[in-house]
Amino acid sequence: MNKYLLAAGAFLVLGTNAAFAHITLETQEAAVGSTYKAVLRVPHGCDGKTTTAVRVQIPEGVIAVKPMPKPGWTLQTKKGKYEKSYQLYGQAVADGVKEVDWSGGNLPDEFYDEFVFRATLKADLPAGQKLYIPVVQECGDAAVRWIEIPAAGQDEDALENPAPGIKLKPKK
Amino acid sequence: MVMVLIVMASTGQALAHAALIKTDPVDGAVMAQAPARFSLTFSEPVSPLVLTLGTPDGTPVALTSFRLSDQTVEIDNPRLLKSGTHVLSWRVISADGHPVGGSLLFSIGAPSEPPAVSEAIDWPLRSAIWIGKVLLYAGLFLGIGGAFTLAWLAGDGRAGRRFVAGAILCGLVAAPLSLGFQGLDALGAPLSHLAQPVIWRTGLGTSFGWTVLIALIALGLGLLSLAGPRVAARPFALAGLASVGVALAASGHASAAEPQWLTRPLVFVHGVGIAFWAGALVPLGLALKRQEPGAVKFLRRFSWAILPVVALLAAAGMVLAVIQVQTPSALIDTAYGRLLLLKLGLLVFLFTLAALNRWKLTALAEAGATEVQRRLTRSVGVEVLIVLAIFGVASGWRFTPPPRALSLAAAEPVSVHIHALQAIADLSITPGHAGPVAASMIIMTGDFGPLDAKEVTLVLSKPDSGIEPLKRAATKPSDGSWHVDNLIVPVPGRWMVRIDILVSDFEMVKIEAPIDIRP
Repeated sequence: MNKYLLAAGAFLVLGTNAAFAHITLETQEAAVGSTYKAVLRVPHGCDGKTTTAVRVQIPEGVIAVKPMPKPGWTLQTKKGKYEKSYQLYGQAVADGVKEVDWSGGNLPDEFYDEFVFRATLKADLPAGQKLYIPVVQECGDAAVRWIEIPAAGQDEDALENPAPGIKLKPKK
Repeated sequence: MVMVLIVMASTGQALAHAALIKTDPVDGAVMAQAPARFSLTFSEPVSPLVLTLGTPDGTPVALTSFRLSDQTVEIDNPRLLKSGTHVLSWRVISADGHPVGGSLLFSIGAPSEPPAVSEAIDWPLRSAIWIGKVLLYAGLFLGIGGAFTLAWLAGDGRAGRRFVAGAILCGLVAAPLSLGFQGLDALGAPLSHLAQPVIWRTGLGTSFGWTVLIALIALGLGLLSLAGPRVAARPFALAGLASVGVALAASGHASAAEPQWLTRPLVFVHGVGIAFWAGALVPLGLALKRQEPGAVKFLRRFSWAILPVVALLAAAGMVLAVIQVQTPSALIDTAYGRLLLLKLGLLVFLFTLAALNRWKLTALAEAGATEVQRRLTRSVGVEVLIVLAIFGVASGWRFTPPPRALSLAAAEPVSVHIHALQAIADLSITPGHAGPVAASMIIMTGDFGPLDAKEVTLVLSKPDSGIEPLKRAATKPSDGSWHVDNLIVPVPGRWMVRIDILVSDFEMVKIEAPIDIRP
């Protein structure tokens, strides 16, 4: 048991400075009906391998997506039909960006980087709940899929590869 | 310690789980010798909570001696490891304060073979079953076969009548008793429970119940042919002989083998052949000994008929043996095979003796040489003894499942049907016992539609033995199912299986169920 205590003690020193392994969003709260700047933080490669692509699935209700280009990465978007038509500045919008891909890059495991896009969160998104934005991190042949969404009542921390999410707040 | 927890908890979800990057030994390794230490390297510094080594006999050993160096946990191997498959399970806590666990398999020498299962043997019951079986064979073969010989071959000779009647009565006692013994054996009850009605109902309910019922009919027909009106003797004897074949084909290892359209008729032919041959020996021997007037004629008829009968008998026996034993090595490796060898040895002796009688002595005896007739009588007496010994050996088969059945039982897979809202999986693990196995999965959508998964991962864990999740990626050959081949289930018992199904790039479904692995 002493050994475990010692280990835990050593861990206290290291612990708080330890690197973040999950892909997470910098801003973890946003009001529905607002414009949200999503900053995806990529702290690690895939089990030690260099990250070569980051792909983001845009959930329903997130429209007018504009990703920020990154030097050294090829930026692409995939467009498709939304499940329903949204009003944006008085105009009906029925399709738009469904996926954002940054690929062809080179982010070694020991470095950190961020990937950014802006989007509008529609007002009819359910405030009080969490909105999950699944991300696939590719490292050559390997991939880590940050796509797990907790089932009702499930602890998010129990997931191995949770999707990054934001807490939706009521419309301002 | 409380402080630590608070600090870690306060960092919240921004901190994350550690991922395992490297292990020594690598997962699935087969090594000649046990390593002096194990090492686990994670994506960030971790602190071990529980480290366990599962040994091939299923007992977990706590690993308490370890060192942390940067992101690597080095664990001392505490003991000399026996050969077989071991499971190294870890549960560590990383920066976010959430424990993560996993397992890796490695084998010393070779992967574990399933341990042999032995059960206690009830020797009094076994002896009773064996004696009952020998007596039943005596009734069927010597009794009914003898009645057939008397009716069809012996002419007016009456030698052996009393012996044949005795054998039939023997069978009439042994047949119902065997049924009771069968019931005891089926329920695992001791001999003292023989009087209980449930024992007899159970015995009657097994396939052996049919054998006993038909054997009783056959024995009755044999008795009628002996004691009934002379005109009816021949048809009764013939019907009795045929019933012997049917009774034997109704149950037993050989009749249960596939393909049944082949094995059951073969057992019938084999049984009828034995009854014809063995049944004739005693009446013939006695007729020759007493130098009855019809004895020479009797001998001639028998010698004329016996060749095709023995040819059929031997051919049927050989085909059945091949079906049952499957591989030559099983002749020596299994109890069934060893009994077959013993029987074959006795048969070689019997055939030599019979051939000598048939080609050397018979012609002379038919010519009326008294001295030769005496030798022939002695020889027939020895043949009867050998035949009895063969009945004894064949009765021993009652207790030895043939290699065919053994391999069938061992290879039987275990299956589980996992039905969740988003997906359905049919998983089977073959063979269904501990050791090297292959897993096969059929994945469907929750409403039984086709599900074209991108990736499928099989995750096995055994929480009660401290075995953390073992992960294996499945491959998809052309038949549409998913397979995991490089898998060893290290210990038997209840395992939790989880199937991670990647439905699309961004959607994963995880379904879970327990599965029982046989020893």
